[in-house]
This record gives sequence, C-alpha cells and structure tokens, in this order.
Amino acid sequence: MINLTINNTKVSVTEGTSVLKAAEKLGIEIPTMCFLEGLTNHPSCMLCLVKDKKNGNLQPSCALPASEGMEIITDDNEIHHARKEALELLLSDHVGDCEAPCRPSCPANMNIPLMNRLIAEGRFHEALKVVKEEIALPLILGYICPAPCEKACRRTQVDEAVSICSLKKNVAIDDIENEIQYLPEKEPASGKNVAIIGTGPAGLSCAYYLLLHGHNCVLFDKNNEAGGTLRYDIPDDKLPKSALDAEIEIIKKYGAEFKLNTDITKEKFNSEILLDFDAVVLAMGNFDDSNLSSFGFESTDHGLQINRNTFEVNDTGIFACGNIIRSRRMAVTSVAQGKAAAYSVHQYLNGIAPERKKRMFNSKFGKLFEEEIPEYKKETIPDARINLPVGKLDNFSKEQAITEASRCMHCDCRKPTTCKLRIFADEYEADRKKFLFGERKKIKKYFQHDIIVYEPEKCIRCNMCVEITAKEKDTVGFSSIGRGFIVEINMPLNRSIKELLNATAIKCAEECPTGAISLK
Amino acid sequence: MNEVIDKIISEKGTAVEAVIPILQAIQMEYNYLPADAMQRVCELTDISLARIYGISTFYSQFRHQPVGKHIIKVCVGTACHVKGAMRVYDAFKRELKLDENDDTDKDGLFTIDKVACLGCCTIAPVVQIDNTTFGHVEPSKVSEILYEFLNSDKDSSSTSSGLTSNIKGIDGEIRIGLGSCCIASGSSDVKAELEKSLKANNTKVDVKQVGCVGICNQVPLLEIHKNGESPYYYTKIKSTEVNEIIRKHFRSRNPFTRLRTDISGIIDNYIINGIPKSVKKYSSESVDTPVAEFLKGQINIATEHRGAIKPDDLDEYKKLGGFEALQNCLNSNPNEIINTIKQSGLRGRGGGGFPSGQKWELVKNTNSDQKYVICNGDEGDPGAFMDRMLLESYPFRVIEGLIIAAYTVGANTGLFYIRAEYPLAVKRIKEALYYCEKANILGDNIMNSDFSFSLNIFEGAGAFICGEETALIASVEGNRGLPKMRPPYPAVSGLWGKPTLINNTETFSLVPWIIRKGANAFADIGTKNSKGTKVFALAGKINRGGLIEVPIGITIRKIVEEIGGGIPNGKAFKAVQIGGPSGGCIPATMSETPIDFESLSEVGAMMGSGGLVVLDEDDCMVDIARYFLEFTQDQSCGKCTFCRIGTRRMLEILEKICRGDGKLEDIETLEKLAASTKKGSLCGLGKTAPNPVISTLKYFRHEYLEHINGKCPTGKCKELIEYFIVDECIGCTKCAQDCPTDAIEFKPYEIHIVNNDLCIKCDICRQVCPVNAVIIK
Repeated sequence: MINLTINNTKVSVTEGTSVLKAAEKLGIEIPTMCFLEGLTNHPSCMLCLVKDKKNGNLQPSCALPASEGMEIITDDNEIHHARKEALELLLSDHVGDCEAPCRPSCPANMNIPLMNRLIAEGRFHEALKVVKEEIALPLILGYICPAPCEKACRRTQVDEAVSICSLKKNVAIDDIENEIQYLPEKEPASGKNVAIIGTGPAGLSCAYYLLLHGHNCVLFDKNNEAGGTLRYDIPDDKLPKSALDAEIEIIKKYGAEFKLNTDITKEKFNSEILLDFDAVVLAMGNFDDSNLSSFGFESTDHGLQINRNTFEVNDTGIFACGNIIRSRRMAVTSVAQGKAAAYSVHQYLNGIAPERKKRMFNSKFGKLFEEEIPEYKKETIPDARINLPVGKLDNFSKEQAITEASRCMHCDCRKPTTCKLRIFADEYEADRKKFLFGERKKIKKYFQHDIIVYEPEKCIRCNMCVEITAKEKDTVGFSSIGRGFIVEINMPLNRSIKELLNATAIKCAEECPTGAISLK
Repeated sequence: MNEVIDKIISEKGTAVEAVIPILQAIQMEYNYLPADAMQRVCELTDISLARIYGISTFYSQFRHQPVGKHIIKVCVGTACHVKGAMRVYDAFKRELKLDENDDTDKDGLFTIDKVACLGCCTIAPVVQIDNTTFGHVEPSKVSEILYEFLNSDKDSSSTSSGLTSNIKGIDGEIRIGLGSCCIASGSSDVKAELEKSLKANNTKVDVKQVGCVGICNQVPLLEIHKNGESPYYYTKIKSTEVNEIIRKHFRSRNPFTRLRTDISGIIDNYIINGIPKSVKKYSSESVDTPVAEFLKGQINIATEHRGAIKPDDLDEYKKLGGFEALQNCLNSNPNEIINTIKQSGLRGRGGGGFPSGQKWELVKNTNSDQKYVICNGDEGDPGAFMDRMLLESYPFRVIEGLIIAAYTVGANTGLFYIRAEYPLAVKRIKEALYYCEKANILGDNIMNSDFSFSLNIFEGAGAFICGEETALIASVEGNRGLPKMRPPYPAVSGLWGKPTLINNTETFSLVPWIIRKGANAFADIGTKNSKGTKVFALAGKINRGGLIEVPIGITIRKIVEEIGGGIPNGKAFKAVQIGGPSGGCIPATMSETPIDFESLSEVGAMMGSGGLVVLDEDDCMVDIARYFLEFTQDQSCGKCTFCRIGTRRMLEILEKICRGDGKLEDIETLEKLAASTKKGSLCGLGKTAPNPVISTLKYFRHEYLEHINGKCPTGKCKELIEYFIVDECIGCTKCAQDCPTDAIEFKPYEIHIVNNDLCIKCDICRQVCPVNAVIIK
C-alpha cells in the first residue's frame, strides 16, 4: 500500500493508483473531462491539475501515480486559476453554441428550438409545455410580441427567420381548443398568501408561476376587468379580447383569485394588504399613472426603485415588476419579469434571501460564415417562410406549422446539460472571450450517420473516441489527424462516418465530453 | 501497386510497430502515400486504417498528395530565418507561380516545402532541391537556381574515386571534408574535380575523405599535407580552382599537362553576397588566420581527431585508440564503469542535463529480463546540427559509447533513433554497424566476451517532439509521438514497458574518451557543476560559424568574438539565441555569462542540445519570439490543452504585435499565458515553449513597446516598414528589373521610386542595389 496525503488527509491506496482515484476514495472530486475508466488516460484537458505540495508543480491527477509520502493539494487559488485558464483556452477553440441565438435574445428565455422541434414532429402539446415553462401567456404574446428572437434567428442568413412567435401562438391555440387546458402540476401547497396588485402581463405571469410554486395568489385591480394595458391600451384589432380572456381564464382555473374594482390606496395597502399577505407584488403598470408615489417607496427617473436582480422593493416581502419599475413597450419583458419576481417571492417565502436565477454559461460564436450556411442547411428543409395573409391575427394550419417549425436549423447544442465543457465553464466562471485572437475555425457538421451527429469544431481533442473505436475494434473508427494546433479528430482518408463507425457509435456519443459527438 | 506494397510488407513485417518503416518505404517508392497503398497495408497487417492515417498525418515526412518531379525544400531553421528564409520561400513561390495554397507548379515539375532545419546553418539560407543543396540563397537568385538545377549533371555527386590510397611514391595527402554542410557548399564537386585534376596531372596523392571539419564557415576546405611540409588549408574553394591548387603544390609528372594547365588554370573571382570570394590559403603554422582562430580555445573530445579521421574507416578508428575503452569495460565490473561516469560529472547533453551516471545506475538496478539502450539522434531544434555531425563523422565513437552503456546497464538490444532529414548520418551509421558486426564488435559474444549486443537503426519521420524520450519511445512502438507522463521514467519502464536507457548522441560520444582518459581528465574541464565540453552549432550573424566543441563554462563573448570572429559587416552584436525553441535570447550586455547548465537557466535560456544562433542589430526580437512560437505550435503533439492552444494563442498575440495591431494589454496577456503554459503543459516541449517569449520580454521589452507604437526598430516586420530609394541612386535600373511586382518604375539614369502600394517587401531591390540606395523606414 502507498500512503499519501490529499488536502492534508491521509489515504492509502494500492500501487499504481492515480491521484485522481486516490482523491475519489476520500470523496474529493477533481474535475476532469478526458478521463474514462479502462482507457489509457493520456492527459489532455488538464482540468484535473493538482499541486504537489513538495515542489509546487501542477500535474494532471488522472495520470499522476500516487507515490509514498506524496502531499497533494487539489484546490487552491493557483490550481483554480490554471483550470479556469485551461477552460478558457479550450473555449477559444470551441466553435459552437450552447443555446441557439434565438433563446438568449428572448427576454423570457424560452426554449425556442426545442419548441420548434416538437412542433415539427407534430407534438403540439409537448411544445406547449416547453413554452409554458418560461411564458405564462403564449397566446397573448403570440399576437403582440415584437419577437426579438426572430431578429436573432440564424435562418435570416439563409432566407427569413422561422416564424417563432406565430408558432408559439399556434400551440397555445391548440391547447385552448382542447377540452381541458394544460395546467402544470403544482408544487406542494405552502399555505402562503401573496397579493399581486395589477393584472397586466407582469401580474398575470407572476401569479401563474407563484401558483406553480404552491402559493396562493390574490390579484387586485382597480378596473372591472383583468388585463391592465393588454385590455385597455391595445386595440382589439391587434389583440382580440377573446384571446386575453382565454388566458386569464386559464390562470383563474389554475387557482388565482381576482379582486377587481379594488383600488389599493396607501391606507388599504398598510392596513389590509401588508397584514393579510405574506408577500406583495406591485405590478400596476406605469409608475406615473399609479398612485404609488404617495406610498413612500423610493423611485428613480424611470419608476419604482427596486433591486435589479431580485425585484425586491425592500426586504420586507414587497416586490415589483413590469412597467412600474420602468416603462417598456414589450409585454414579453413584463411577462419575463413577472416570472422572475415570482421566483424571488418563492425564495423569500421559503426563508431564503432571494437571488436571481443564474443563466448557465453560454458558448456562442455569432454569425455564420458564408461557407457555413450549407452546413446549417443540412439539418433543415429548404422551404421559404410561410407568410400568413393577415399576419399575426392569422394562424397556421397544423401542416403549415409543422413545415414552418421544420425550417429551424437546430443551432442549439445537443448536449446542453451534459456537456462537461459547459458545466465546468459555468462552475469556474470561465471567460470564453479571453483568448479569442485568431480567426475562428469554420464549422462543419457531419450528418451521414444514422445515429450520431459529429461537429468537429466542438471537439476538445481528448481522443477518447479514437481510443474507444480502436479498443472495441470498430470497423475503422475515429482517427487523430495531424498534430499541433491543427490536430483534428475525424475519419481517415476523408471517408464517411456512416461507413467507418458502427459498433461504438452510441458509446462515442455518450462518452464524448462535449457536444462534438452526439446522438441524433 | 499491390505487388509493391506486398513486397514492402514482407520485408518490414505485419506488426503494429512496423507502421512507420512501411510508410517510409511506400513513400520512397511513390514520393507520397497513395490512399490505396495505405488501404492495402491495413488489409495485410495488424495495423488499422485509423492508426495508419493518424501516424501518416502526425509525422511531417509523409505526404498525401502526389508531388512534382522535384522537391524544393526551403530550410526555415533559425539561422536561415534570420537570414531571410521566408523571403526565399516567397520568391520560389512567385517564380513557380504558385497560389497561396498550392505547393506544386502547374507542370508538376516542382513541389515546394518548408523544412524545420536541414542542419546546414552555416551556409544559410539553404535550399535543397532533391539531393542538391544550395547555400547562401538570395530571393533574386531563385530563377538562376532553378535553371542551374535543371541543367546540371545530377550524377556528379556520385562519381566514385578512381584513386587508391596505396599508390607507391605518394607525394602527399589531400584531405577533404564531406559532411552534409561541406557537400552542400560544393565539396562533392570539388572532390570530383580534384580526382579529375590529379588524374590529368598524373599526380600521386592520397585523397582522404574525412568527416565534418567543423570549420563550416570556410568550406569547401582542402587540407594539403605534403611530405616534409606543414599542412596548408585552402578555404571556400570552387571546383574551377582545384586544378590551380594542385598544380601549385604538386608538379605534374607529365610535362604536357603541366603546360596545358598553366593556360587554363584561371581563377575566377565571383561576387557573392557582395563579398569577393576566392581561394584563401593559410598555412597551419600561422596563428592569426581564420582557421587557427576558429580552432583555438576548442577542446576535442566528442570531435576527437576532427578533420583527420575517415568516418567509415574502422581500422583507422581502432589505430587511434578506438574500442580500447570498450575492451576495457568488457573486463570490468559495471559498477566501476558507473562510478567512473559519475566521477567524471557527465550530464546528459540532450538539454536536460541529468547526471548520466545516475541514469545508468537506475537502469542497471531495475530488474528485468530485457533492457534497451537508445541513442537519441532526433535532433529537431531548428539551428542545431551537432548530432548530425557526430553521427556522420564519428559513427564508431557513438557506437562504442552505446555499447559501453549497454554492457553497463545489462541491455542486449539497442537502437539508433535518427531523424529522417539526415540521410547521410543514417548511411554512415548503417555502414559502421556493418563493419562492427563483421569485426565482432557487435553481435554475439562481442570481442570474445560473454556480452552479446545487437544494434539497429530507427529512422524518425519528422517530428520535433520525438526528441522527448517518451514520445521517441511511442514512435518506435508504432504510435503517434505523444509524450507520456513521467514518472514512470523510461529507466524503469520504457520501450515495450522495459527499462530503457536513452542518452543523446553527444553524451554517448563522450563516453569512450572518459573511459580511456579517466574520469578526472574529464572532470578537470568545465565548471563546478557542469563538467567537460559541449558541442555547439554556431550559426547566424557570425563571421566564422561551424561546429565547435568548447569547455563548459566558456563565456558567450569568447565564443562569439574569439572563435566566431565577431559579427560580419560591421554590425553590432545584439544577442545569442541558445537552446532553440526551448531556450532563450541572452543580450550582448550579458555576454560574460558562462555557458553551463545552471548559469543559462538563471538567465532564462537553456543549454538545450546546443544550437547557438548569433543575432545582430538587424534582428527583431519580437520576430524571433514569433518565429519560435510558430515552430512550437506546429510541432506540439496537440494533446494537452496548454501546449496545443496556449502556444497558438501566444503566436497570435505575437503576430498581432508584429503587424502593429498590438495593444499594451496584449503584452500582459502574453506574459500571463506564457506563465500558465509553462506551468500547465504536460511535457518539456510545452513547459519550455514560452521561454523565447519570456526571455525576449525580459531583455527586449522596449522592442515590444515600440511595435505597439507602430514601429519595428529593426525594420524586419513587413507590415510596419516601407521601402525608399535615396539620392545615392545611380539609376542603374537593377531594382526595377528585379522587382517582382513592378513597384519600381524603370527609369535609366534617374533616381528610382518605390511605389509602396505595390511593394510586397520582398527585399530584392535592397539586395541588388549596388550602391545601398534602397533603405527601409
């Protein structure tokens, strides 16, 4: 047995054990991307660097054999910095998007490509579920959203954007036309009560997600009908009242209580609302039009002053969202804020200091080069955008919706949650731009194979697939081609993946640490 | 084709480790690797297509496209780089009308290629077309070179000698060096002419073909040893001058030829590089000749009997004490030998400087049924040619050292790993091994002892990284040359997992001397921690470049000023680059630094394998750093993140600075990235790759800052300079005639003007101007 210490804790392992494995024995997790039990584990990613305390050298723990008397440190500032820099170097050579450009440009961060794919498969109900994870009022927004997502859509480089906004409306209509509308299963009831003042897009959205989190909601509005600006500012020929009523109805069905014709004065607020409710969300629209100025909250030039990250007005359970904090033209922003405020309220009600939901690290490369357009066209249909005669008031037929959704080019990564590069880049807060000096490599996509897709520019050259295909004696398998910076993993002699990769295709996709090799 | 491939495989075998020799044989046959041939190999052997392709694309020797009839190799080694190799390369591309991505001309006559180093640094810039080497190539001369190549008699180098060395009544001996540099400088032609001339004059002289003379700056060099007279050296001679020389020293035995040669023996004075170059004659007794100065201060151990010994003459080697050391060792206890090596203070000459005795002991004390000894002759540093010279000139010495090591550690199998770019070294070692086997110096029970040892050659296929011992082993085992994590060290687990002793060529070549003369004789030379001598390849901006062997501890100044004779053309000495891509630049102000392992590390350079390139005031230090990073990012095995991407990003920052687009913060990023690449890389290549950046930033930071301010102080960086013609112009029109882009209008007897919008900064105008009227701003 060999005795060593890792982070000052003693451990004994058999001879030949790597420091990585020895640390594992102590429950110490060392990040690694290129390690796989049973392979030669020739170090590549350098994320598993640890420090030999005796000489201060950094060495990859996956290949470092434990030796007698060794003293290892697995995490300190220097190691953290080195790992972060390794990630940043890899990211500088990683051309690929975690999220399709449309998604981060949606204020509500809706998973647009996934919705598109489900629609394309005719799975409208599942598509709606995806929509509702982020957007409580898809039908309404389907009429009035200016669709910033479509401006970001990559398809604009080919012809025109995918009609994301209309597709979203289509799945919402599909839901409403059903006998029973989709109401997601609520989390266990918390017994907490939340007052939402205002029933515009922010208030309605907030209510929906608070209900989802298991809280009771009462919505107050000074008008005799709910909807706020949606009802009173937007003309009927832009947003039919029937659509508005339908989605308000869904929120009612989901459990929201509406108290209309109720003007919340300063007295009522202090004497009733604050006493009767565990939290309050102020969502009554334009600050200047509201009577909020007399409440004594601090305001800015734009509106009510809040904590931008948590939507807290103060730390006593008062939150605000929508136009009250800053007048905006886009309803989708109010809808997004209502959702975010609901998340903060939920945390507050659970006794946790609210924090903004962090968006995961996102690798993105921007516009396509001219020669990359054909690569992206491989995964879509050539059809032109279907433009409806009366624009947003019109709807796609089911067939049209399927065709239109099939125009999506699948810009998003196939491994958004399992890609190790993304997970660690997120954990180490890597700066993807730090080493972007040269011209980026050109993207290629290999689709010939029945099971997998290969996108070489996402590869981190760990060589695991080369070893897997060689070890398990696949037909021919991946080869490591060239050397130096330009080394690439591909099929020898430019032969097709379909022809040369068989038995190990699935394993390669599963073990590939990034989205380079992924299942179709 | 199948028949050819089948034959190759029947010779090389079907095992995985045969892959490199098989591919080499295929390429020898077709000049490239046809896809069908590779397919055939994988059908007939245990080698998968993925492996074959992985290997054929890893090693730069292999080509995948058909090539032109002739291959032009433009050397871009350090010495050639500082002397304008890229301009030469560009000039060939222009001459052959090649687009940016083409390498073969339309007629399929020539294929152009850059090579890391041909090891002919003293005659830089160097270009090799097939087997003909051209030195001192200028961009304006490329069309002449191509013409000369196509119209020359290519068989002249292989003319065999009609002379025998034992003719009665010999008048004397003429020695001519036939190392690769000498041949490149025209020694073969001189030799052929010499033989012709001797025959014509009926002169009875012994012509002795010796190895590298080391005085590479003065080659072709003839040494005339006449009975009863002190020897004479003739330097930089041309084949046309040979007859004259012979006639002067040896009276023709035939009166008619004496008369005829009198008439035809006219010496031409050529103008090359603006320096009149004609025969210079020196007596060996004069002390202040270039030859004598060059040799003074050197100690010959690895290069013992330099210029006097015939590389392939086993008897002569033996006569001069060769294999005595081995004989001695075979009668002693291995522990005694290890003690001697330890006492001598010998440290590995490959760069790391690990104590050799300790390494030998480690291998000896590791128990195993099989052990190996490998001679590392994969000298990949651009600007270094020590191993090549030693292998070409002293094959028996290296072999002797290797056998002694094998006996000491208990290995019965050994290997020479020699890089493919050194065909002459491979040939000489092959011949030497053959002679040794015949003389029972190799094989079973060598020299009638109990010790048996077999020795083979493995030809490297062009990868700098294979100089790293674990990568070298990977390559021998039939893999891509990826270095492994150490420990385990090869001494414990090396080739095929067996204990393996790997030493550099020079290390082995020092061993016989140490054994013969004793540990103390060696330890008396050198400094406290670095004993003995070190062979350096002295090149670059130096009057007398060449292969030198000096006592360790000698100062940089002594080498540059005394042995090298200072900087040519009255330029100022700026720095020396020691240790190639792993080393650093030491400024002239620090030229009193003694050359030993520790002192060099302290100043940010390293001994490396011994490349020593001298830089003058015209050399841009940012460009030098950029040059080395370009090399390392290409030569990195491409496995670990820091080396693969880190070196590339450093290169990109340096390119940005050289273009004049650099910002102050780029220097900071560069510095940080250099530090983390040093720290985070897996093997020595990555760990030392930042050294050229770190050392130039340390000593020449102001040059980086000037580039950031949009100025290249030495006028090297193309994007930052413009060409002008000043009033001294005599209107000779030479520049206008040679300008490849018509950027200079043809105006006889007027002052010419450079149109900088058309100018491609090829530098030809400046080189052809007879009155130095072209200047760079």
